[in-house]
Amino acid sequence: MSNGYMRKILRVDLSVGTLNIEPTSEDIAKKYLGGKGYAVYLLYQYLKEYESKGISPADINPLGSENVLIFANGPGTGVPGFPSSGRYHVMALKSPLTGSIGSANSGGEWGPFLKFSGFDAVIVEGVSKKPVYIAIVNGEAELRNASDLWGKNVFDTCRILKKKVGGENTSVACEGPAGENSAHMACIVNDEHRAAGRTGLGAVMGSKKLKAIVVSGSGKVPLAKPDKFKEISKRCLDAMRKNAVTGEGLPTYGTSILINIINTAGGLPYKNWQTGVNPNAEKISGETLAETYLTNRRACWGCTIGCGRVTSVKSGSFQVLSSEGPEYESVGALGSSTGVKELDAVVKANHYCDELGLDSITMGSTIAAAMELNERGYIPKEDLQGLDLKFGNAAALVECIWRTAYKAGFGKYLALGSKKLCEIYGHPELSMSVKGLEMPAYDPRAIKGIGLNYATANRGGCHVTGYTVVPEILGIPEKIDPLKPEGKAKWVKIFQDFTCVVNSTVNCLFTTFALSAKDYAELLSAVTGWNLTENDILRIGERIYNLERVILNKYGFDGKDDTLPRRLLKEAMPEGPAKGHIVELEKMKDEYYRLRGWINGVPTLEKLKELEIEI
Amino acid sequence: MAIVSARIMLFATLRKKYGVKDLNVECDGTLFDLIEKASKILGESFFDDVYDKKQGKVRENIIFMINGRNIKDLEEKIEIKDKDVIAIFPPIAGG
Ligand code: SF4
Repeated sequence: MSNGYMRKILRVDLSVGTLNIEPTSEDIAKKYLGGKGYAVYLLYQYLKEYESKGISPADINPLGSENVLIFANGPGTGVPGFPSSGRYHVMALKSPLTGSIGSANSGGEWGPFLKFSGFDAVIVEGVSKKPVYIAIVNGEAELRNASDLWGKNVFDTCRILKKKVGGENTSVACEGPAGENSAHMACIVNDEHRAAGRTGLGAVMGSKKLKAIVVSGSGKVPLAKPDKFKEISKRCLDAMRKNAVTGEGLPTYGTSILINIINTAGGLPYKNWQTGVNPNAEKISGETLAETYLTNRRACWGCTIGCGRVTSVKSGSFQVLSSEGPEYESVGALGSSTGVKELDAVVKANHYCDELGLDSITMGSTIAAAMELNERGYIPKEDLQGLDLKFGNAAALVECIWRTAYKAGFGKYLALGSKKLCEIYGHPELSMSVKGLEMPAYDPRAIKGIGLNYATANRGGCHVTGYTVVPEILGIPEKIDPLKPEGKAKWVKIFQDFTCVVNSTVNCLFTTFALSAKDYAELLSAVTGWNLTENDILRIGERIYNLERVILNKYGFDGKDDTLPRRLLKEAMPEGPAKGHIVELEKMKDEYYRLRGWINGVPTLEKLKELEIEI
Repeated sequence: MAIVSARIMLFATLRKKYGVKDLNVECDGTLFDLIEKASKILGESFFDDVYDKKQGKVRENIIFMINGRNIKDLEEKIEIKDKDVIAIFPPIAGG
């Protein structure tokens, strides 16, 4: 097995309580790298195995024993000097939120520490009878009783387990009350504030009665060419330090600095995406956060950027002793989309999301959808039980969060996510989601390329699948007009493929503001000893994206699901620089499918063959 | 040339450096004059922060928007009109 890997994978079957150690496969790693890619490959094997046993993809219960959860890092993770390599990827065969493949990514320390504990991945099958946690310490793994932790929030769970397991490089990834109660947007949180947020994987963990995975160890990642790696690493880290975005913009202001620019461009969703111009954007902006509640910044393991925000609200109704965030997307969903202009309430809401284990994007977007449903008179008063769900109501925002985590009162509807919520109240068009996943805070009527990406992103309404906001708004690596649909397909495809490489490396997407695919090829070659070119790694990315799409197709998703909410396709943007614009999706999609070699959202057999994908 | 009045808004590190969120500037309707007049109010360094004299255009990494449109995306000749809102961002990003 090549360098860059710990060469072992842990497979846990919670139903029978077995833990097996298997070798990491060099063949799979060469084709799918690690992290997301390796997990996608394994999940596809599960689907095939289930089908051979007569279990169809539709029969898989996302909260049942047949669902599988895979935590994986890649050859770059945890390598000192590999740019921002403190991340991991986690996937599930089926998401409770979307009914399709589940996928999320997180920073902090857990990813590298899993590697130091001796493993490239952890596969979790089955359902435990009683609450357990997995402890992985220096190559040894065991299942331990977690009955005393059941019901505990994320912060307490992280603190208690970190102390209990002890040792060097110890980190805890867990689910909170939201996961235990199967809220469909429950997430997995590690290191207290870093969340593998999207697609409800905390609910999958909770359904398995798996409270946490604790990793600890002092292992080192073997490198193929240490001297060569040092040289390339130095060049890349220098480039990142000198880059205006990774060297100054992100460290100084974090991600929520985007609020004002996206609002200025007319693309900041306000009041459940009724418009892209928020008159109160300034009040919830990164600049305001820096002047008010910001106390420090925090970096994930080995990261020179350090975009994380440490915050504190010292007075008023929404006090928080110490928290992290909110990030841009959290402010967008919990603040702008709900019309809440009090930044302290947004900090508190975000803090509750971390504490209870909820994805702030889906949570905020679901509350915003509920507010619109209510304002339009579609929710019977008795369902709300006194909850004053009006746009801009900061107290209601905060109340909705704990209600969702505990499925208390109206929280039992909110816990289903916006798609099911809006269906229950007869207005599915008010859910701002794609394939059941709520879209982050960029209105594609003002940024067309991100619309094509939302529509075609495998995991659903996701920005980081193919983040074209970078060229469209920020002008990196070159400026393209956000209001024009022309030429967007090629950007979406290349961003989607390259992001698969990043998520399989696994390191942070923010490095790509300064580093190119060529830099990645050189870094990965020095780590693994393979001779990878820029084309090789983009081909790996394309392969991963296509195999993930094959899984989607098995769940019945195709071209008809590569779409956007009606509001974005039919209701013209009412104001701002994008006034009068809708998303010309079909035009962009045709070109995208052509470039992808797909027909109606399905990869052709020739395409799969060309990418050497065995199905 | 007629004198126009535009509102300039500063963000992120530019706001911090010059200590103002926004200011009204009167200019002759050209970008050059707008920036020059603004630097008379904010200080000479503002001109260099935003404008690349050698290239004769706004600095490559500055995001310069007129009424929400990045000047790099504008096909027509750039002209500042009365009541235009100019937003100037240093290199920033997120996601
Ligand atoms: S840039 Fe931010 S999210 Fe990415 S690794 Fe660094 S601190 Fe973590």
